[in-house]
Amino acid sequence: MSDNKEQTFFTALSDAVLNMDEGTVEEIAHRVIKEKIDAYRAIENGLVDGMNRAGQLFEDEEYFIPEILLCSDAMYAGLNILNPYINREQQRTRKKVVIGVVEGDTHDIGKNLVKTLLDAAGFEVIDLGRDVQPRQIVDAAIAEHADVIALSTLMTTTMDGMAAVVQILQESGQRDAFKVIVGGGPISQTFADRIGADGYAPSAPAAVKLLHKLFKDSIYV
Amino acid sequence: MMTSKITPKKRLLDVLNKKATDRAPVICMGGMMNASIVEVMNSSGFTLPAAHDNPDLMASLAGAIQEQTGFENLGVPFCMTVEAELLGSRIDKGTLACEPKIRQEAFGSVRDVIFRDIDEMLESGRIQTVTSATAKLSQTYQQLPVVVSMTGPISTAASIINPMAFYKELRKNPASAHRILEYVTELLIRFAARSVRAGASVIAIGDPSATGEILGPLMFREYAVRYLNILTEAVHGFRTPVILHICGNINNVRTLIPDLKADAISTDAMVNLAKLKEDFPGITTMGNLSTYSLEWGTPHKISVQTQKLVNDGIDIISPACGLSTSTTLANIRAMTRTVQGE
Repeated sequence: MSDNKEQTFFTALSDAVLNMDEGTVEEIAHRVIKEKIDAYRAIENGLVDGMNRAGQLFEDEEYFIPEILLCSDAMYAGLNILNPYINREQQRTRKKVVIGVVEGDTHDIGKNLVKTLLDAAGFEVIDLGRDVQPRQIVDAAIAEHADVIALSTLMTTTMDGMAAVVQILQESGQRDAFKVIVGGGPISQTFADRIGADGYAPSAPAAVKLLHKLFKDSIYV
Repeated sequence: MMTSKITPKKRLLDVLNKKATDRAPVICMGGMMNASIVEVMNSSGFTLPAAHDNPDLMASLAGAIQEQTGFENLGVPFCMTVEAELLGSRIDKGTLACEPKIRQEAFGSVRDVIFRDIDEMLESGRIQTVTSATAKLSQTYQQLPVVVSMTGPISTAASIINPMAFYKELRKNPASAHRILEYVTELLIRFAARSVRAGASVIAIGDPSATGEILGPLMFREYAVRYLNILTEAVHGFRTPVILHICGNINNVRTLIPDLKADAISTDAMVNLAKLKEDFPGITTMGNLSTYSLEWGTPHKISVQTQKLVNDGIDIISPACGLSTSTTLANIRAMTRTVQGE
């Protein structure tokens, strides 16, 4: 198989993810398997590449939440087909993120978007859902041996819960075990600094960039 | 002085009808932006979550909020789950300090939605609680406007269908998305009709799931503007003005704001309302004192920020977002007294 031909498949996968075309992604993924193209590289250079391009369009305000969700569906459709064909040596332990919306918030759209983009960026994401109490978040992070605690809120009413998470970590002497990042409508860098979080991201793509910065671009443990 | 003669109700209605008044009203619309802070509940004994279900308690709490905070209106209900509950979603009624929320949407996808008879639905659920509280309040406080707050069409739809599934449908299958939105908008119109009949002076709409940030300008126009306007025009048909609160940053839908037919546009704290007013002089602006300041600031700082809004000519002064239940009365009073010139 020539590199050129491989690249044609990768580009087609990437484009199909970007175009929210689940059916085409599945069709090409099956052909990747048939042609014995490296599944791992098809994921990285095809599916993930397409999702990263979608993330860029989101940042540029050409794509919005409905488009990102459909791109993500297309990416997962491909992952489901290609994942079983990845070699064991290629599977490395990825940094783990527990993500949740602090108790009391109205909805969790922002959190779902951050989860999708972190997934696409290669992090292993454990979604605790919405309405999670600060203590539960800390317990889950410890149990999961997570590297990151990502907290999202939509309303000023639940910002105290974010401070509580950091406080619980400090009191139990586990503050240094995790990077704590926060985001959401009412949150600012000033607030993140005040509660002692490791970082603040104003948007979902920014959350991905923030983690890359905090981990010096390595998603692997 | 004319000032003492104008009632808060007339002042708010005059502003919404674009008539000149002595000064800006200072209000808190209820619903997602209610002022049922813990301090008021503890001192009055009228508490949540009980007041979500009981019309007498709902009216009493709304009255206590008004009397203690100085806001120049009564606002009910204290959550944005009334409509979704009626449409079949499972609600967590919350606690004293924590607002109710959707525990589980009624439907996993748009295809699963069961369209029920709206008139039948109106006979059950908490719409009765709200309208009955509204009737009590409008009789007890004749000089004050009763504002009934409703959840906007897209937020209601995204509260009865898994929101992720619903957002995708907006893009993937517009016809079925429109069918759902027509259905919930019809329910909202009838809810508004009953509220007006019960004595509501103003209908307020909050649609936090329908922002430009979430939808982008194209879908904001196709879905949000369209159904908000259908609802607004129906309420106008009941000779009642409409206040619309738009969450988040409005930058990418700014040019669509004049297309909204609501009588006042309320925005979040990051929006420069003075600039919005300058760009679109036809808009009646409402807002937008930071609820972060209200929770964490000092009365002095709040007073300064409120005065700036007044000086900027903002037409109606109000909090910019949902108030934290731990906000102090002293801080809210600093806001209302500044507007009232005390």
